Amino acid sequence: MVRYMKLYWHFFAAQVKVMTEYWVDFIIGFMSVFFIQFTSVYFIKVVFDHIDVLNGWTFYEILFIYGIASTGRSIHQIFFDNLWLVGRDYIRTGNFDRLLIRPLNPLFHLIADKVQQDGVGNLVLGTILLGISMNHLAFDWGFWDIVLLIVMVISSGLIYSGINLFFVTFSFWMVDSFPLMQTAFNVSQFARYPLTIYSKPIRIILTWVVPYGFTSFYPATLFTGHKNYTTLALITPAVAAIICVIAYGFWIIGLRAYTSTGN
Amino acid sequence: MIEVKDLSKDYIILKRKPGLSGAIRSLFIREKEIKQAVDHISFEIKPGEVVGYIGPNGAGKSTTIKMLCGILTPSHGEIRVNGVVPYQNRKQNAINIGAVYGQRTQLFWDIPVRESYELLRHIYEIPKNDFEARMKHFTEYLNLGPILDIPVRQLSLGQKMRCELAASFLHNPAVVFLDEPTIGLDVAVKENIRKFIREMNHLYGTTVILTTHDMEDIEQLCQRIIIIDNGSILYDGDLVAVKERFGHQRTIHFEMPQTDHFKLPASLESTVDVAEITESRVSLLFSSRDIKGAEVIAIMMAEYEVNDLTIKDTSIETIVKEIYERGI
Repeated sequence: MVRYMKLYWHFFAAQVKVMTEYWVDFIIGFMSVFFIQFTSVYFIKVVFDHIDVLNGWTFYEILFIYGIASTGRSIHQIFFDNLWLVGRDYIRTGNFDRLLIRPLNPLFHLIADKVQQDGVGNLVLGTILLGISMNHLAFDWGFWDIVLLIVMVISSGLIYSGINLFFVTFSFWMVDSFPLMQTAFNVSQFARYPLTIYSKPIRIILTWVVPYGFTSFYPATLFTGHKNYTTLALITPAVAAIICVIAYGFWIIGLRAYTSTGN
Repeated sequence: MIEVKDLSKDYIILKRKPGLSGAIRSLFIREKEIKQAVDHISFEIKPGEVVGYIGPNGAGKSTTIKMLCGILTPSHGEIRVNGVVPYQNRKQNAINIGAVYGQRTQLFWDIPVRESYELLRHIYEIPKNDFEARMKHFTEYLNLGPILDIPVRQLSLGQKMRCELAASFLHNPAVVFLDEPTIGLDVAVKENIRKFIREMNHLYGTTVILTTHDMEDIEQLCQRIIIIDNGSILYDGDLVAVKERFGHQRTIHFEMPQTDHFKLPASLESTVDVAEITESRVSLLFSSRDIKGAEVIAIMMAEYEVNDLTIKDTSIETIVKEIYERGI
């Protein structure tokens, strides 16, 4: 474990070095992601210019949910972005073999291979949104609340990544499962708003099937006036752990299929 | 160093009927066919040997090498590389082996070569002193100095291949697999690469398995060759015997305006075979021990109108074909 952490650091440092050399790319990537997200947020603002409360949720509460989703998503984007490319760049081209002739866990190698600078745009925007909304929530922030919030954000990032890992694993059988991943990921757009505004089937899907509800909505209820979901909110880290274990187990099965059939 | 016993690999291929209707049908009804990419082969390679593993495309070379690397699990049979069973103990095996695939990169695409090597140092946990000594040696030998600070994606094919080669030997592996390391390279780079492989083999006793379509590679590097076709081993032994048998063979292609009435000149009948006649080309096959190439050309030019001609050494493909038809 310590070895892998050190190794990750070396991979990370090498890529940051490259980013600093191509800093214009960095700025462009950063700005584009920032503005894409900013327009969505601005749209929420426009809606709330006409109404005060949406189904019992105020503007700043929704901003808060959005902030957790963005920061969680940024963890996925910065550190686990290479998962998207397994089919196209690794399995289809045969480059996956390269990961298998190294004395490393291939999943680790895959993830460490790419640090996605564009994710920083999401991270910065998410942090700003959290900062603004936290000041306007009727909540007394103590040190441990901040720690809890950080744990929730990390869990959120792991849930995004775990679900992504699960769906990319299909690439071992179908060469490129990108459309599947895309479909699953689009579902996460729902989870940036309070789940209570949706009908029951969608709520159930977002909680128990592809649990994106835990990436922002449930954790957010802990820090807002909505107390009906405390249990669900508190199991968020456990949900993240379970998702990652299931996805990794599935990945191992896929890997075994790959080594027995080739491509 | 490498023991392979009764090794097989089967692939299941889904058969498709031609055309769109066939494609749609195959969505529902799938016919499976089992193809044996590698069919019960056995061989043993001693430490320090340089072995040419050759055969036509699709013969089963890559499949064998993938199994030796631990990338593929065999359907049947046993493998040991440096005492390790690759598919059961992939990571342990990975420390013992190095690999170069001529068509793909093992390095890190966006990162300067030097940083790539640094990462490899950490991945393989190479002691810093060894690493630096080897880097210095490799840089000198492969002339890497001017390209170390360039990202891999910007390198030319020849530069990339030299970097790849250094990368595969960096952790001083017991066995190195080189899959067409000279493909598409110019003569100078080929020469440089061969020299480097010879040097590594001498200095560190590295066992090398080389697949290639280039006879020069084989002649300059290998003492032993294994010829594989259709998943089975056709020949395993000394290079000298094969060279004796086939090394003197030449093919000359004559481009001619008219080939309809071509008949082999009487003076060539005893020593030369007609390999192929097409509309505009006649290919003659002979051994340079029986008759000189110049003589064949002179006789042909005297009898027929010839526009152009090319002389070809024996290719691996011809050798394999010959072994098939006549045996060794």
